[in-house]
Amino acid sequence: MAEATFPSQRRAAFRWRPYDFIWVAGSVLVLLGIWGIWQRASAGLAPTNLSSYVPWGLWVGFYDYLVWLEVGSLMLFTALIYLAGNKQLARIKPIVLFTGLVVLLMALFIVFLDLGHPERFWHVFVYPDFTSMITWMVWLHSTYLVILGAELLLTLWGNEHSERWLRVLGLLSLPAGLALILVSGSIFGVVAARPLWNSSLLPLMFFISALATGAGVLLLLTVVFWPDKSSAEYGQMVRFMARIAAWMLLAGVLAASIIAFTTLYQGSPARTDALLLILTGPYWWSFWILHILLGVLVPLFILFTMAHRPLWVGVGAALSIATFVTVTLNIVIPVLVTPEIEGLATAFVHPKLTLDYVPNVMEWSVIAFVFGFGGLLYGLGLRWLPVLPHSVEAHNE
Amino acid sequence: MPVQEETRAVADSSRRKFLGVTGVVAGLALFDELARSPEDALAAYEAEIEALGSRTPQAVAGRQSADVLERMRAELERALQKPSSERRWVMVIDLRKCIGCHACTIACVAENKLPPGVVYRPVIEEESGTYPNVMRRFIPRPCMQCENPPCVPVCPVNATWKNEEGIVAMDYERCIGCRYCLTACPYSARTADFGFTYTEGTPVGAGVVGEKNADDYERAANYEYGNQYPRENLRSSPVGNARKCHFCQHRILEGVLPACVTTCIGRATLFGDANDPESLVAEMIAQPNVMRLKEELGTEPRVYYLI
Repeated sequence: MAEATFPSQRRAAFRWRPYDFIWVAGSVLVLLGIWGIWQRASAGLAPTNLSSYVPWGLWVGFYDYLVWLEVGSLMLFTALIYLAGNKQLARIKPIVLFTGLVVLLMALFIVFLDLGHPERFWHVFVYPDFTSMITWMVWLHSTYLVILGAELLLTLWGNEHSERWLRVLGLLSLPAGLALILVSGSIFGVVAARPLWNSSLLPLMFFISALATGAGVLLLLTVVFWPDKSSAEYGQMVRFMARIAAWMLLAGVLAASIIAFTTLYQGSPARTDALLLILTGPYWWSFWILHILLGVLVPLFILFTMAHRPLWVGVGAALSIATFVTVTLNIVIPVLVTPEIEGLATAFVHPKLTLDYVPNVMEWSVIAFVFGFGGLLYGLGLRWLPVLPHSVEAHNE
Repeated sequence: MPVQEETRAVADSSRRKFLGVTGVVAGLALFDELARSPEDALAAYEAEIEALGSRTPQAVAGRQSADVLERMRAELERALQKPSSERRWVMVIDLRKCIGCHACTIACVAENKLPPGVVYRPVIEEESGTYPNVMRRFIPRPCMQCENPPCVPVCPVNATWKNEEGIVAMDYERCIGCRYCLTACPYSARTADFGFTYTEGTPVGAGVVGEKNADDYERAANYEYGNQYPRENLRSSPVGNARKCHFCQHRILEGVLPACVTTCIGRATLFGDANDPESLVAEMIAQPNVMRLKEELGTEPRVYYLI
């Protein structure tokens, strides 16, 4: 009987694929995040631990982190393909573009949720003030979304004329990405009220850090998604990308060290208080253990000494990527919890007029939702879109 | 009748008479007070203040009227006759007179119907020195209404600007709540409205009105910037917005001094048009003991402190 056999045939047609764990994990994270999102939707920003004196926190830190991942990886990839002429790397182009797009959407989602009036986000397009770095950030991010979307469409479903357009879009994405990353740093760099932020070096540090994290992303994508893992080309490419990632990481360490040493040497409390909070405050471990040890030293050791072992290289890249969020969180939070005017937090007392900030469960729950959303998109994209390099797909089939 | 008892009877009789007469006098006085119209009562009060004021050293010297409030009110009326672009509102806070009563803070909360967690004019308490040489001082911190406000250019949607009288104003309906202005203000003078109410969670029960009825006042509109902002839900501004002191713009345009000025029991807060050379604030900001907060940032605050 056709009615009886058809459903079972459909069930038999579903086969698990290796990357399906991504959307499964995404679904779990969405479930964990539903509570936070419901809180956000029903009570606004009140349930967060944000206050008037610490108006930005976990979500802004994650936003900048995701911008670093997205723009850093895409800029480096585009530069390697179109400027350095590395044709081999183009084999993983669809997955690199798709990863960038998913991360970009996650970043925009987080910053949307951080608004007191998210329903008015369109005001930035209708009533823009171009003296504000946030205006530039939104406009550039939207431009980047359009460029990236077009690149992905042409890469996945283009014809023989697409390559020319892809080159144009790729070259356009370089200045757009550079501007976006510099503007993201300038959002903090132009604030004279916060001495540790207020530095022309900060946008440059954002750029170097974006390239360092972006190189990690590209390395991980190369390790995981390279089409033919038994070929000599795979080993070559992993070693090549590992070298780039390691040197980028070292450049980031150098830039951060210069800022730290010059700041500590001049010793002005307005600057050093926030920096000392990062280095020796209650969350010192986020900097020294998570970032320096697990995010820099261990990956550097792996990348320099075990570049011929892709599995370890992948672990090193993943460690570096995952722990880099502590950098953006340490840029955003310690500066804000350092008082601008002593005694203000005790002048009029309320939980929303305090300098104590530690992200609460609700904030983490919303982060889980956004990452779940990203995981779902990514996992389903890997399953249904032709983003995987061909031999990987053939192998999985 | 023994002498002692006779004396007690006479004393009782005198006390009764005294109480009777006093009661009648007090009753008549009360009746007179109640019978007076509010205008008469106000006139009598002002006459009394005038009489008191005429005996102060300043009044004797002919330099000030009875109460600086009267002088500032007259100056405010004078300033309002001018085109708005020719006014320069300035606040002067005499730290030597501030006693830290926080009346200005509370007056501001009441005037602008500020919800929990929003404050425009906190009073910072500072303690200095070591025992036995210890001093306390109180520093009210309204918005500085900077000449070069760092909070203005960072707004991505033009929701905040310096108006032609120098007050940094907000458009609540345009603000998207990104809170960039909060991070950019060097004085932490902006606060975010997270949507709290004082009566949230008030229980319902016998003899208890409950949240629904208790928060009627909180849901009613405030009148900042001369507009009505009913507090209906999370999307109704100013919930979700950045908020700040605006020198009670809605009051001064009606010829009424800011709430923090009229409430200051020590007359430590002065307000007026600095472009008027005859004004009290113009006199005060020319003093050598005047200072402004964080001058090194070049924000040019319009709030001056006398120290």
